[in-house]
This record gives sequence, C-alpha cells and structure tokens, in this order.
Amino acid sequence: MSTDAETVKVWDPFVRVFHWSLVTLFFIAWWSGENHDMDRHRQAGYAIFALVVFRIFWGFAGGRTARFAQFLKGPGAIAAYLKTHDPEAPSDGHNPLGGWSVVALLGVVLTITLAGLFAVDVDGIESGPLADWVSFDQGRMASEWHESVFKAALAVIGLHVLAIGYYQVLNAQNLIGPMITGKRDRAKGEVTPDVKWSPVAALAGIAVVAALTWAVMNGFKFGG
Amino acid sequence: MTRAKPMFLTALAASLVAGSAIASAASPAETIAARQANFKKMGGAMKALKDELGGGADKAKLMAAARTLAATARLQGALFPAGTGPSSGVKTDALPAIWTQKPTFDAAAGKLVAEADKLAGIAGSGNTAAVLAQFKVVGGTCAACHRQFRAEE
Repeated sequence: MSTDAETVKVWDPFVRVFHWSLVTLFFIAWWSGENHDMDRHRQAGYAIFALVVFRIFWGFAGGRTARFAQFLKGPGAIAAYLKTHDPEAPSDGHNPLGGWSVVALLGVVLTITLAGLFAVDVDGIESGPLADWVSFDQGRMASEWHESVFKAALAVIGLHVLAIGYYQVLNAQNLIGPMITGKRDRAKGEVTPDVKWSPVAALAGIAVVAALTWAVMNGFKFGG
Repeated sequence: MTRAKPMFLTALAASLVAGSAIASAASPAETIAARQANFKKMGGAMKALKDELGGGADKAKLMAAARTLAATARLQGALFPAGTGPSSGVKTDALPAIWTQKPTFDAAAGKLVAEADKLAGIAGSGNTAAVLAQFKVVGGTCAACHRQFRAEE
C-alpha cells in the first residue's frame, strides 16, 4: 500500500463489526430485559459474550490499532497527550485517553455478561445458563450485580459518546466515519501505514470463541 | 401411607405456623418478614426444580422441592392481613391492590396452592415432560399474580 494515498486504513473490519454489533446488541439486551422477554435477553447476552471475548483475543492478535499493547499508555503519556496534543490532529487508532475508555467499556460489559450467566430472578424461574452451579442466594446476588454494573455501563457509555462528540463537533475530527468505513483522511505529510490483520488469527479466534460460547449456553453440560 | 406422612406433617406444621402468626398478633414488620422469607424459600424451590429439570431430573430432589413449594404456598394466604401493605411504613413490594382487590388476590393465592399441589403430586412420577409442563404452569401462576400485585423491582 502506498503511503501517499489520501486516506489511511485505521480500523480493521473486526474492530468495526465488533463495535456496531455491540451497540445493537446492547440495546436489544436492554430492551428485552426491560420487557421481561428473557429468551431474547439471553440470546443477546450470548452474542455479547462472544463479541467481548473475541475482542479481548483480538486485543492480542488483531490489527495494529486493535491491540492493547498499542493503545494502553501509562500516566506520563496520558498527561503529555492532554497537555501538548493538538485535538484536531488524528491519533493512530485510540488516543492515550480513549484507550483506557476501551478497557473500561469492555470491563463493564464483560462484568454484566458474566454476572448475567449466573443470575437468577426473584421468582427462581428465569436464570442464566450457569445458574445451576450456584445457590439461589448467590444467583440473586449475581442478578444485583448484573443490574448495578449495567447502570455503571450507562455512565461509561455516556462518557464515551460525549468524548466522540467533543472531537466530532468542537475539533472537526470525524471519528464516527472511520469506525464505519475503516478509513480516515491522512494528515498532510502523514506516513502512517494501513492497518493489516491476519485472517488465520481471526478464524482461529472465531472458532475458539464459538466453542466457548456454545459451552456457556449449555451450562458446560455435555452429553447427558 | 409412609409417603403421605411427611406431606401431612408439613401441612400440619404449616397450619401451626400460620395459626400462631395470627394468634400472637404479629406486628406488620414481623408478618412482612415472615411472608418475604417464605417467598424466598419458594424462589429457591423453583430454582431447585428448574435445575433438576434442566439436567439430572433426580426424583427425590424434585419431590422435595415441590413439597417445599406447596407447603410454603399454603402459608402465604394468611400472611397478608390488613395493615401490612406499603402504608405500614415497612419496606414491602406488596401493592395496595392486594387489599383493594382482596377476593382476586385470595383466588390467585389459592390457585398457586392448587397448582403447587398438582406439581407435588407428579414430581416423583419420573415423567419429566409432565413435571416440566406443570412447573411452567406454577411459574405462570407466580408471574401472573406478581404482575398484578407486586411492585416492579
């Protein structure tokens, strides 16, 4: 790929599909939960579980900007970014602050999902697929975490959306477009290379995540 | 005969507990705590039934849980005397509709006892499909009454 093209590929397709699928499924899970449509709620939960586990795997095996090692920076780098960075200049993927926002978002969503797997409703009728490994009281506690971390997630998501708005509206940086198309405009003289990713790694990750999700859906009970 | 005995004893114990709750004129807080503990016990029994029906289907465990459910359901009707709603100042999800529509509520409570008895009657039959079907009927009975008479969480 030549580096003098007008655009540069910054997000690999898996990051983008992950992102927008998670947005959609989060709302499906929220809506179905509010309306006690528990079959749909569980299905949305399984899909979210698969997505998040894949994203964590992709954080080690994905394209350059998908990797935790690339975007998780120490407090020094964050301070420097806040002090000296021109907010209108694009970052190569997540900026030092946004990187930790990714971890926070993944953290809350994963916690909600894991708690949901063990959650039991107050009547003992509806439950997550792993609830029969815990007592009624433990299942109730998981249900309470499921609820309270969901509220925390709404706060973290709100912050995420505000930050995007800050760059989009106040600093003329289009961050939403690249998350859809994968590409952003190259700054003048910028030589950032296109993001590359391995289909073999992606396939291996999908296979492992699919197997794990299937096991979770079946409560880790095989045969019988 | 030996089979009917524990059932009879639980029923006896149940009526004694229910009777004493009224006889000793328990405070609203005590009555509310007692019925909440019973609901929790029934929730646990429902979970135990669900767990067994989802795999294992151990007859003894199904029977024990179904009997707990039926015996506990029997106690609940007497634990909603007037003055134990939200107006008592004690934290409760019981809606005032319980007392404004008492006959409907009592009928729903009676339906639960009847359906739970039916479940207890077949829990040890080994017919998992039939037990599962009746479990769902009981679950539907819980849910229907809760929709009408319990505050949303």
